[in-house]
Amino acid sequence: MTAIEFARVSFRYPASLPVLREVTLNADAGQVTWLFGPLGAGASTVLLVAAGLAPSLTGGTLDGGIRVLGQTPHTREGRSALQGRVGYVTAMPYMQLSGMAESVFDEVAFAPANLGWGRERIWQAVPAALERLEVAHLTDRVPEQLSGGELQRVVIAAMLVLRPEVWLLDEPTSALDPVGRRTVRALIRSEAERGAAVLLATEDAELGLATADETILLDEGSTIARGAPAELLGTELMWEMGAGSTNVAELARAAWRLAPEPGSRMAPPFPITETEAVERWR
Amino acid sequence: MSPPAAPAGLAARAHPYTPLVASLAVIALAFILPAPGGPVVLALLLALAVPLSNDTGAFVPAAWLAVPFWVLLFLLHGVLGEGAHVAFGPLSVSASGLTLALTTSARLTAVILASVLLIRGFRPGRFVDAALESGWPWTAAYLTAATLHAIPRFQERAVRVQEAMRSRGLRVRGSLATRALAFIPLALPLMLGALHDVDERAFALATRQVRADGPGRTPLRPPVDTRIDRVVRWGLVLAVAGAALWRSLG
Repeated sequence: MTAIEFARVSFRYPASLPVLREVTLNADAGQVTWLFGPLGAGASTVLLVAAGLAPSLTGGTLDGGIRVLGQTPHTREGRSALQGRVGYVTAMPYMQLSGMAESVFDEVAFAPANLGWGRERIWQAVPAALERLEVAHLTDRVPEQLSGGELQRVVIAAMLVLRPEVWLLDEPTSALDPVGRRTVRALIRSEAERGAAVLLATEDAELGLATADETILLDEGSTIARGAPAELLGTELMWEMGAGSTNVAELARAAWRLAPEPGSRMAPPFPITETEAVERWR
Repeated sequence: MSPPAAPAGLAARAHPYTPLVASLAVIALAFILPAPGGPVVLALLLALAVPLSNDTGAFVPAAWLAVPFWVLLFLLHGVLGEGAHVAFGPLSVSASGLTLALTTSARLTAVILASVLLIRGFRPGRFVDAALESGWPWTAAYLTAATLHAIPRFQERAVRVQEAMRSRGLRVRGSLATRALAFIPLALPLMLGALHDVDERAFALATRQVRADGPGRTPLRPPVDTRIDRVVRWGLVLAVAGAALWRSLG
């Protein structure tokens, strides 16, 4: 089932050039769809538009058709119908703090309380979400005093507590250590397996490769290509558009460029994982 | 797992309306009570009551705010004031001017100390819970809490801006001239940051289901409005009303 649909969507922020140019894409329930591209490609803006925050909060001009769970997210009715069903995580977690919570518990409970959940339900759901993100030990801490990585996990927990049908994730592991990254990777996959649609915007090719079912390549606000991550990440297109690829692919390409002989084992498409590289170069 | 326990301390445990009413009562009494004795005694009593709030650190910002006024008022009314002058150490000061300076300083001190204590001890989430429990609409509760919480947030931002500027080589300590030169590079990002903060709040609230339609927000931990709280609040209201009546009749 299609959860997010963009049909020829264009968007420009106030007094700026178009950031999205007739973008057409869709993301299905039960799948992780990865938006990938160089800086300024428009991936974060796609998420803002899907969350209904652009243009309502950012200002700007929006054209085209957008449906999220069958609703139009930038209209009052759409926002109302989507409340509690969409979990949006920005790349800057401190921007999502309520400013009203004295503890991490209250921070995670903020949205459920706004939705009018009963206290008993909140008391059960919040600890479960914190445990899932492995931050239960932070329950009593003041959110504003957390480290960047702790805060990122708390903000994800604050969305997870709602059990959203749609996840909009913008660089969700940017502040995390390797353990935190593994936790969030596992969460992304399990949320998709639960049936949620996950739209992931990240420049971390390793994260995209590990979690995504489909990649949508964006460049200068337009959709360039789409396909399985494993098919796209090894192609020269990734470097032509300035997006880059996984560490293994970067290394393989650097090695090939030292002696670019057509038909050699080093030629593109490049291996994108350690296993592939070992197979190829054995 | 249980939710976190409430912090210790008399003021922290009190119902959020009680310190709010107490601060407003102190501010009102500072201007109602007869000068100079009333405001001076009030300011002293308030200073003695500070340890009850578990926040003796409130003296520092209160002093930073009040002491320059004391000095200014002493110079303006005491040294430069009109009327008969008397010897005050090596200085010659106006007796009536000194009384006026003392009265105004005591009033200002009481107002500043009451406000600093209220703001430093203010817990926005707890206030919102109390307000919702009393039937306030969510937006009114949030806006009141956000307004009272704006000053600590502004202070935190000021510290961050100062640290950022110092790490870039700006000298913020030293002579008056050095401090004056540092003012603009500190004030500008602080002001712009405060404006940006409004955008950040709007963004945060929009992504955290604040526009929720439906049954309304659930107070997470509504504070208990004890009999003592109610007695204290009504006592303060009656004290203010009584003082106002006494002064108007006298």
